[in-house]
Amino acid sequence: MRISLKWLSEYVDLPAPDEVARRLTAVGFEVEAVERVGQGLAGVVAARILASEKHPNAEKLSVTRIDAGKGEPLQIVCGAKNYQVGDVVPLATVGTTLPGGTKIEKAKLRGVESFGMLCSARELGLSEDASGLLILDRGIAPGTPVADALGLEDVLLEVNVTPNRPDALSHIGIAREIAALLGHQVRLPRPALREAGAPAAEAVKVRIEAPEKCARYAARVVEGVKIGPSPLWLARRLESCGVRSISNVVDATNFVLLELGHPLHAFDLDQVAGHEIVVRTARPGEKIVTLDGKERALEPDDLLIADRDRGSALAGVMGGGDSEISAGTTRVLIESAWFAPSGIRRTSRRHGLKTEASYRFERGADPGMVIPALDRCAALIAELAGGTVRPGIVDAHPRPHHAPEVRLRWRRPAELLGVDVARDEVLRVLGGLGFEARASDADGATFAVPSWRVDVSLEEDLVEEIVRTKGYDAIPETLPANAARTPVEPADAQVTARAREALEGAGFAEAVNFSFVAERELAPFADPSAAALRPIALKNPISADLAVMRTSLVPSLLRNTSTNRRQRVEDVRLYELARVYRPAPAGSDVPAAEEGELAGVLVGRRNPTGWAAGPDPIDFNDAKAAVVAVLEALGIDARWRARGGAWLHPRLSAEVLGADGAPLGEVGELHPRVAAAFELPRGVFAFRLSGAALVRSARLVPRYGGIPRFPAVLRDLAVVVAEEVEAGAVLASVREEPLVEDATLFDVYRGPPIPAGKKNLALAIRYRAPDRTLTDTEADAAHARIVARLRGGLGAELRG
Amino acid sequence: MADLLGQLEALAKGAREAIGSAADEKALEDLRVRFLGKKGELSAVLRGMGALPAEERPRVGEVANRVRDEVEALLADAKGRLDARKLEAELAGPPIDVTLPGRRLLPRGHRHPITRATEDISAIFARLGYEVASGPEIELDWFNFEALNIPPDHPARDMQDTFYVEVSTLGDGAPDGSVLLRTHTSPVQIRAMQRLGVPPVRIICPGRVYRSDYDQTHSPMFHQVEGLCVDEGITFADLKGTLAAFARAYFGEGTRTRFRPSYFPFVEPGAEVDVSCSICGGTGRLPVPGGQLPPDRATRRCGTCKETGWLEVLGAGMVHPKVLENGGFDPKRYSGFAFGMGVERMAMLRYGIDDLRLYFENDLRFLEQF
Repeated sequence: MRISLKWLSEYVDLPAPDEVARRLTAVGFEVEAVERVGQGLAGVVAARILASEKHPNAEKLSVTRIDAGKGEPLQIVCGAKNYQVGDVVPLATVGTTLPGGTKIEKAKLRGVESFGMLCSARELGLSEDASGLLILDRGIAPGTPVADALGLEDVLLEVNVTPNRPDALSHIGIAREIAALLGHQVRLPRPALREAGAPAAEAVKVRIEAPEKCARYAARVVEGVKIGPSPLWLARRLESCGVRSISNVVDATNFVLLELGHPLHAFDLDQVAGHEIVVRTARPGEKIVTLDGKERALEPDDLLIADRDRGSALAGVMGGGDSEISAGTTRVLIESAWFAPSGIRRTSRRHGLKTEASYRFERGADPGMVIPALDRCAALIAELAGGTVRPGIVDAHPRPHHAPEVRLRWRRPAELLGVDVARDEVLRVLGGLGFEARASDADGATFAVPSWRVDVSLEEDLVEEIVRTKGYDAIPETLPANAARTPVEPADAQVTARAREALEGAGFAEAVNFSFVAERELAPFADPSAAALRPIALKNPISADLAVMRTSLVPSLLRNTSTNRRQRVEDVRLYELARVYRPAPAGSDVPAAEEGELAGVLVGRRNPTGWAAGPDPIDFNDAKAAVVAVLEALGIDARWRARGGAWLHPRLSAEVLGADGAPLGEVGELHPRVAAAFELPRGVFAFRLSGAALVRSARLVPRYGGIPRFPAVLRDLAVVVAEEVEAGAVLASVREEPLVEDATLFDVYRGPPIPAGKKNLALAIRYRAPDRTLTDTEADAAHARIVARLRGGLGAELRG
Repeated sequence: MADLLGQLEALAKGAREAIGSAADEKALEDLRVRFLGKKGELSAVLRGMGALPAEERPRVGEVANRVRDEVEALLADAKGRLDARKLEAELAGPPIDVTLPGRRLLPRGHRHPITRATEDISAIFARLGYEVASGPEIELDWFNFEALNIPPDHPARDMQDTFYVEVSTLGDGAPDGSVLLRTHTSPVQIRAMQRLGVPPVRIICPGRVYRSDYDQTHSPMFHQVEGLCVDEGITFADLKGTLAAFARAYFGEGTRTRFRPSYFPFVEPGAEVDVSCSICGGTGRLPVPGGQLPPDRATRRCGTCKETGWLEVLGAGMVHPKVLENGGFDPKRYSGFAFGMGVERMAMLRYGIDDLRLYFENDLRFLEQF
């Protein structure tokens, strides 16, 4: 809301502009900008145009002679066309620098000398209007500084009015706040209304068919008006608050809106069929053309201002073209009504129509302002457009407003604020804001809420009024005294922290991506068992690329990888830890199943840092190592099974399983087609792990198992097996031998003299008995049993 | 006998001279073989002992042992001297090129600044006794709005542009009602109160939130940390003290806080909380480097706080009675405060990040700076 301090000062005495801004901000009306206008117009004076001729050498220019109050007329070349000889206009004299920075100098334009510049409103920094010269009142003496003549110097405040305070969306509203703060009185405008002729009630009838949507509809009739432009002072007022001047009658309604905050509407009474106003909801299939020229199909929830025959305005939102004030209008009907907020909001949203009127009605207009605003507007129209006001108000008022009463216990401010507030301070502050104390006793008092304070209905609301005025600085700083529960770190937080540390220790950087992606990106990651289900989709996404909730983090990471590679960052290790979204299981108390996922992508050199490392590219075992780092950090003993999901290379990928066989995730090289879809080369590896599965399998608290008291016996074993025999199977078979404490694979060899299709696996085996020193004989026997088991079970041959 | 003793004496003398002048380990080894080896000089002398009468042998043997001990000691000495000289030579050589980059065991990883800021904020509140709570991001309208005193058709809904979810894609398991992406972490207040059932409630909830607004200064997804404290006798003074303590812990000991009245439908009274600018120290001006400047040019405008000296970083207030009721708490008996902050902004102020979009581009050249 833009507030003109010049205008505001008509209703309340003001301190300096910066102080006004500071005080308003301090009570909850944040002043976002303080703009000084009409400054720097020192060299601009009023000038009368004495003569105007066409420029001899330029089609679009004129040569004028003007009286700038200096005796000798001046010659000025001008490009505008909107003036007549005799008009008074602003002249920027030679030497002036205009607010836009233009410096005025003596100039020759197409061979004709010019001693200054005639200005538009925009050139003076007064408004955006650059359509022609700013035409001033002819009564202004030439030579008068324009800033003085127009009272142009003003300070405009951009005030952020929160949605709960529609009462402050006007100059009177802000004046009330300032008056309450400073202990001043508000000077309300007192319209001098002179009524004449037959009663208004004979000119128009008003009927409300939907009282639940319209509690009151009051109208006045002004006859014999002459539609014309507004006087400059009015146009300036509106423009300074960002409202365009249209005509005297329309401007009068807007002026009252900005002054008193109550939206009004003016109809051409002669266009109101049957001279009857009906406030009703729209009929099925009904349409209306609004002032913006659009035809709108209405719904039965939309409230209309109609005449005998048809709808003529969307109530409280926008007028209709048929009943619009036009140049020929002579009889004006002024509407001042109170519409229920929620209905206005629904209509405004349904039709995408946000107006000054709907903005105020949907927040809650002041029911006490219906009649004062109507009177003010009628008087103004009669004054500006020369009509007479018909006696009386046609007032349909099916639902009178009753001021709510709110009780405040004297102890409540201290209970809520932690600081005592004296009773007389409570009464003074609330009284200043218009809350009238009714019944008062030892326990508390009951306050009548002023009609404009639609936001106040609870005791706490009154406490806020008190503290808002008093200032939060008056409240001390304490810490809550009561003991809290023992703060528990949930298991998933510990799992998360350890997983992060493990991956960061392995050189991964954490990525954070949007939770929504393009639907096509998720296709390769779909769970085959739920293939029929779409991902959860947004109704109103930003774009198709951000339209569905991701079911895996991998596609986002692949996009990140691709982007980084385009920036020539080719060694990429990224992980993300976030939720993925799937439809909720039956009986859920939340709309979707949101589970954590830990995903990573890696590509480039195994050791990207420098001179001491080789250029070896990352391979499957590096990706697996990253997963193992996470699993080890969580105390999870995993199994590996060839072949991950469809998004992975079928030969170079694995499924990760917990010790109990429950799936934990997948790891491997991207499927070449998926890589291509993300514009990635071959050799990009990725993994994803289920957060929930990790939490279930994690063993965060280690168990101490004792230190062996007897020495171990070490034996190496080299066996030749068929290519398809997995190392895991060989190791598992070795570990079946009870005396084996541990077995590790230290070499895999293919090539002569090993026959094609076979490989040599070299294992280091550690034997130990928990209760005695193992003899060589016992170890040899165990070793022999292992060899026999490998031969029998896996077709292994001992390598000589 | 005298002959043998003379030979031993000569051997010892020869050894003293030869070992004293040995130049390296090889020469020393040769000398050991020459004097003490199986075919060496000492063995040769001892072989002559067989011809001596028995009573003379002990005397010669004694001398022979003494000579062997002496030669061995001489050899050990010489070896020590040579080793020392060799070590000296090694230590005196030129240093290696220590400026070569160290060989990395593994490259260092990086935690996203949003995660870092979230962890820092959470750690501060953990010290104040707050537990971390969480709630769904895909949320029912009721929790996100209605329970927080924002009914349908309420203009406060305009404060947050909302993403709505296509209910047909949620499957049959979802509860009935309009579903959206939470626009703030505040619905967790309701869920936490309902879950805990009894006071005290002291939770913070960090998490992702969503608003349908995407330009240079708005991201459709961003992060908030919500806080809630409910108990008997909780006051606005407690809120002030808590957030002042937090601000000092996060921004530094000298940080001041300022509360301004504001409106959030789920608190009453409500406030916006400013902290003194962490960049300019609350003065609104920054020193201009370059020494002797006139006073009017020695400082420049602080762009972070726009010369106000204050940064708006938190929204807060006393929990609205309707919100307490919706969480299952009797507002006549209990009171509480709530607050919320934007993590992106907190991280920007801490790390000097100047563009919101950097957070979600995941450019490694950005991530690697953390």
